[in-house]
Amino acid sequence: MGSNEKIYRIRFHGRGGQGMKTASRILGTAFFLSGFEIQDAPRYGAERRGAPIFAYVRAARSPINERGIIRRPDLVVVADDTLLPIPAAGVLAGVDEHTILLLSSDVRAAEWVDRIRFPGQLILLPKLGETEDPPGLRFLGATCAGAAARLAGPVARDCLEASIHMEAGPLGAAALAENLSRALAAYDAMASHAGCVQPATATSADDYIAPRWVDLPFEQASVSAPAIHGTLTSALSKTGLWRTLRPVIDYARCKRCWWVCSTFCPDGAIQVDSAGQPGIDYEHCKGCMVCVAQCPPHAIEAVTERGSQAEEAS
Amino acid sequence: MNDTAFRRMKDLPSTHLLGTGTPMCAGCGGLEALHQIYDVLGERTVFVNAAGCMTLLSVYPFTPFRGSWLYAAMASAPAGAQGIRDALDILLAHGRIRTEDDLQPVVLTGDGAAYGMGLSATSGAIERNLDFLYICYDNEGYGNTGQQYSAATPHAARTSTSRGVHGYAGEKKDLFAIWAAHRPAYVATVVGAEPLDLARKVETAKRLTGPRLIIALAPCPTGWDFDPQDAVAIGKLAVKTGIWPLKEYRDGQIRHTKMPHPRLPVEGYLKRQGRFAHLFAPQRNEKLLREIQSGVDRYWQQLEGIRAAPGGGGACT
Ligand SMILES: Cc1ncc(C[n+]2csc(CCOP(=O)(O)OP(=O)(O)O)c2C)c(N)n1
Ligand code: SF4
Repeated sequence: MGSNEKIYRIRFHGRGGQGMKTASRILGTAFFLSGFEIQDAPRYGAERRGAPIFAYVRAARSPINERGIIRRPDLVVVADDTLLPIPAAGVLAGVDEHTILLLSSDVRAAEWVDRIRFPGQLILLPKLGETEDPPGLRFLGATCAGAAARLAGPVARDCLEASIHMEAGPLGAAALAENLSRALAAYDAMASHAGCVQPATATSADDYIAPRWVDLPFEQASVSAPAIHGTLTSALSKTGLWRTLRPVIDYARCKRCWWVCSTFCPDGAIQVDSAGQPGIDYEHCKGCMVCVAQCPPHAIEAVTERGSQAEEAS
Repeated sequence: MNDTAFRRMKDLPSTHLLGTGTPMCAGCGGLEALHQIYDVLGERTVFVNAAGCMTLLSVYPFTPFRGSWLYAAMASAPAGAQGIRDALDILLAHGRIRTEDDLQPVVLTGDGAAYGMGLSATSGAIERNLDFLYICYDNEGYGNTGQQYSAATPHAARTSTSRGVHGYAGEKKDLFAIWAAHRPAYVATVVGAEPLDLARKVETAKRLTGPRLIIALAPCPTGWDFDPQDAVAIGKLAVKTGIWPLKEYRDGQIRHTKMPHPRLPVEGYLKRQGRFAHLFAPQRNEKLLREIQSGVDRYWQQLEGIRAAPGGGGACT
């Protein structure tokens, strides 16, 4: 490939279960059907539903020699704005002035630009709130793919449609229709930004600068094998960040039957004090809501995480 | 059972040994069972984990355990437990650790390893009368890799490798019977949704020596397709509909620890899970629903037959 070939580099960020892997497949296939060479791959850590994940697509008119995750994205699509403050999610990794950020959020764009000091252009995809439209969340992947296709530019509407048929067809007629309408609506809604994504030049192997490796002597297994000498280090992972809903105990109604909620909580995130009063560890509660469903006097209520965060802030 | 420390729900541990912050899914029924089991088993344990969701519990440098943890290949966790037991025995024999410092090797695997890939190593370990506890969290599929069917997948369930209109064509393997046929020290089925029954069984297993197995049904929101908040409700329904019998094997006898009375129609359990949705829409699949119900009915009718027979009482034959 000549050094002035352009490659589209698009990264989708979301939480496990929000459909970003699907979004990247839809977009990748739509590019392919539009005559492009493509790569599309999801990237998981050792985490699952609710945890930050990303997927990415490369598309070019000629064979793509780049490999691995995208470090300098032209477009970053973010399905969940709660990921932005989490450094480990890496949403803003490698962005610069040429990067477009497509963000699903109901906070104003200007406020985001200010908060995250984003150097490029920020475009909002109106957020489907978790209580306002929970069924809509199932189709967030299609919405993001549709919007991204239009922002990128060279993906024709009928190629997007065909790609969704391939991806959602096996899920049945109702799911297919819903995915199609969401994706195409998002595609049309982005008309004023059509083609704003600037594909960057392909990197050449000649420009590769090897890292400065440090050679280490070969150690015996007793030294080099990973061993954890501290215990309970898992608590350093703040899985409370996974939550979209928050369980809140109404202590006026709580009957102190701690053995129900504290035992059923899969994560052991409900502690009991000496008076038999349960307390939820919000740093680690993943928001499964098993306690809400099981509490005999219905003393635990589910409230939206964004709502309670806003309340705390004010 | 009379000498149990767990007479009422109130007797369950109010502090928990397993650390928070694990990467298991929100609402994971396997994690719920594990944290309950660990509370009763205690810290003097070494876990041996075969590849599966729970491998991710201890991804360096994180661990929710208070003791050691060893990772084994999918088919060989019981062999790992053998190695640990042997090492501990050598340390004991040489006086390098005191008897009170001895540890209990605990194998922890999913159903893919327990019902399938690891069965040969397990059978060998029981045959050698290895002193270990095997915990299988049964989410009825290869959960970690995207819920492909396993030998524990129930009839007609949809998995990522059984996507046709009839779901999985096979039948769930009876691991309880396979273990019991080896005449080990103990075998029991549990579910996190019945914590008192679970605690008593772990307490019994802890007191015994030799090969012991606990199979925990693990409602899996991700693989079974349900809202995480329903994890306990679905576990309770599995018991109330009789599709997951709670029982234990000891001294050649099988005893059911909870008889579902009245036994609810199994439909109530199936309906709550997306993996069975094709049995209800676009139209009801009466044939498959009948097959599942009659499988459950047959189990309990046979059991009543055994108990009614002269000298009955659930002898293991
Ligand atoms: C021999 C071998 N084959 C395949 C794999 C890939 N693998 C990793 S986890 C896993 C699923 C294990 O399923 P199960 O034992 O039911 O545990 P779960 O994932 O449900 O927790 C598979 C197939 C492996 N690690 N080793
Ligand atoms: S896939 Fe299922 S068993 Fe595995 S961690 Fe998630 S809920 Fe638990």
